[in-house]
Amino acid sequence: MANKTIKVDHLYRVEGHGGIRVELDGKKLLDVKMEIFEGSRFFEALIRGRHYKDVPMIMCRICAICSASHRLVAIRAVEKAIGLEVSKQTKLLRELLILGETIESHTLHLFCLAAPDFLGFPGVAAMADRHGAVVRMGLGLKKLGNSIQEIVGGRKIHQVNAEVGGFGKVPEKAELLALRSDLEAKIPDTLETLSFIENISKENINASPSIFSALDDGSDNYRYQGDNILVSTGDTLPIEKYKELCNEFVVSHSHAKHSLYKEKPFMVGALARLYLHRHKLSGKAGKEMKRLEPAFDPDNILWNNLGQAIEVLQSFERAIEVIDQIMADGYKEEELARPGKLTGGSGAAGTEAPRGTLYHSYTVDDKGIVTDADVITPTAINLENMEKDIRAATHIAIDESEEKLKLQLEKVARAYDPCISCSVHIVDIRKSK
Amino acid sequence: MSKPKIGIFSLTCCEGCQLEILNCEDELLDIVGAVDIISFGMAQSNNLDIDLDIAFVEGTVTLEKEIEILKGIRKKAGLLIAIGACATYGGVAAIDYERDREELKEIVYGKAGAFIPSVTPSPLHKHVKVDFALHGCPIEKSQFLKAVGQLLHGDLPLFPDYPVCSECKRKENECVLIHHNVPCLGPITSAGCDARCPTHYLGCDSCFGPIDEANVAMEYNILKEKGVAEDEIARMMQVFSPTAEIIENQFKDKK
Repeated sequence: MANKTIKVDHLYRVEGHGGIRVELDGKKLLDVKMEIFEGSRFFEALIRGRHYKDVPMIMCRICAICSASHRLVAIRAVEKAIGLEVSKQTKLLRELLILGETIESHTLHLFCLAAPDFLGFPGVAAMADRHGAVVRMGLGLKKLGNSIQEIVGGRKIHQVNAEVGGFGKVPEKAELLALRSDLEAKIPDTLETLSFIENISKENINASPSIFSALDDGSDNYRYQGDNILVSTGDTLPIEKYKELCNEFVVSHSHAKHSLYKEKPFMVGALARLYLHRHKLSGKAGKEMKRLEPAFDPDNILWNNLGQAIEVLQSFERAIEVIDQIMADGYKEEELARPGKLTGGSGAAGTEAPRGTLYHSYTVDDKGIVTDADVITPTAINLENMEKDIRAATHIAIDESEEKLKLQLEKVARAYDPCISCSVHIVDIRKSK
Repeated sequence: MSKPKIGIFSLTCCEGCQLEILNCEDELLDIVGAVDIISFGMAQSNNLDIDLDIAFVEGTVTLEKEIEILKGIRKKAGLLIAIGACATYGGVAAIDYERDREELKEIVYGKAGAFIPSVTPSPLHKHVKVDFALHGCPIEKSQFLKAVGQLLHGDLPLFPDYPVCSECKRKENECVLIHHNVPCLGPITSAGCDARCPTHYLGCDSCFGPIDEANVAMEYNILKEKGVAEDEIARMMQVFSPTAEIIENQFKDKK
């Protein structure tokens, strides 16, 4: 039988420009590629020679959906490099900003990007004709995630207010308290979101085990920050050694570098966090996870969608706790913390962005000028694992029509919630031999 | 009367301007009711290659093939509207647009990345006629909605031709530049963001790009008086609008 190529030229309803290519010889699978052909912007090169104060402003532009993650992880890496400590309130407000981003990004993905595949619509607008109430509910949650980013970060995208040393202006007490009551009021909607996603995630699409990795802050809490890297193989690494985990390399079919851990692909994102940390979930999110535990299937990538739905609920509950903590500690207006005499140094930081672990590191000289920079994004880490899962899904759906097969492959790719603009900038700064 | 046909397109960028359109949570379903969205890669999969009344294009040209894509959009669109700093001025991707692409490529990808194509980043108007632009990094939802509303009534939207300073005055913000010595580009930057940065006690970083007839020389002198080094001033002004002629010409000899 002749060779056949199944191609999704442009994968729509994801962030960025990419495609899927599967080569078949009859029913034999020859090759699978995630093709990433987004243009390169060379962020790691552009930032060199600039003052560290420019780092958050420029590096957050890598990506819009996860701009808060890029901005805050860049800030934390710079603060480590220049030896700057920030206040407890600043840390709590940063966590609140990340929770806002997680809510916005997850609900955008679940309702607008992923759900239409399962209900048979080309997009959220068409879906709204038949499922108006669900779409409005999802957009309502998304808007609240954006309100957090607007109030804490000063803008929904590319949050101007978060800077090295803290916040330009601490959000007003009244705004935080209003946010708290809006969050409380919408918790029922987050529970309904979970059951909506549960109902559309019944199939086992790829049945393929993965290695998972996520950050760990050493506490018993479900958090998106941490200075240790956990791997499901049982290994742990300090954040400074993130390059040993990621081992990036260049492949010819992509403008994004790929990552392998001990020569195996691995996955980051909501499913990885759930796999490694679900026992730490508390409150309603913990209760829901316990209910779902018997069905939990980490070999099914659709559980990344379910993991995001659980994290939306968790983020609502945690955001309320964070606001309560700020008030209990005695809310105060603070100015940006300033560093002492610069001596030059390096810093690496990681954060759990909505779609997985994001790493930034910088070296800053004694004049405050950036001399080296490195960024590794979750989508870049996931590309190799995504290809593995697309291969597995092709085996399962190989007898289906070409149209159905393509849809299944798109569902797998979309379940990763890829952020292709980000993935192009991932790159190891070490020159290859 | 049939509904206007709209396309939303993306070249190389962070896709924040498309995302800002999806951030119109309260208005999204009304917009969809008032226009026919023929192409919107981030939001739908049934995108068609047909003639359009209006094309919104975000992003910077960084690939040869994007020039062809852009020309294709121009050919099929009645109006072509650049959205955001990348489409209008090149944006952050163009910060180092005068540097050799091969050198930048090698820093990021090493020798193994030599196959990766890249052309000097440039804004849309270097390649096709742009009917007008929405500014900002990203664009502001309020300006997008205003533009759509006015276009639906057959008008071209009018946007502020005054600087960020006017917005600060209106909000009764104390001037961060004069009173607090914070380097601020508000005096030469187009308004439209409601003075977001100065309202947070931070200097404007000019993501909306230069205002027409900006007095760049005066801004330069004030920043110098405030102790900002010359090369630092040049770097500040070239983050979001590196190809803007009004700024470019003044710094040609200083770089």
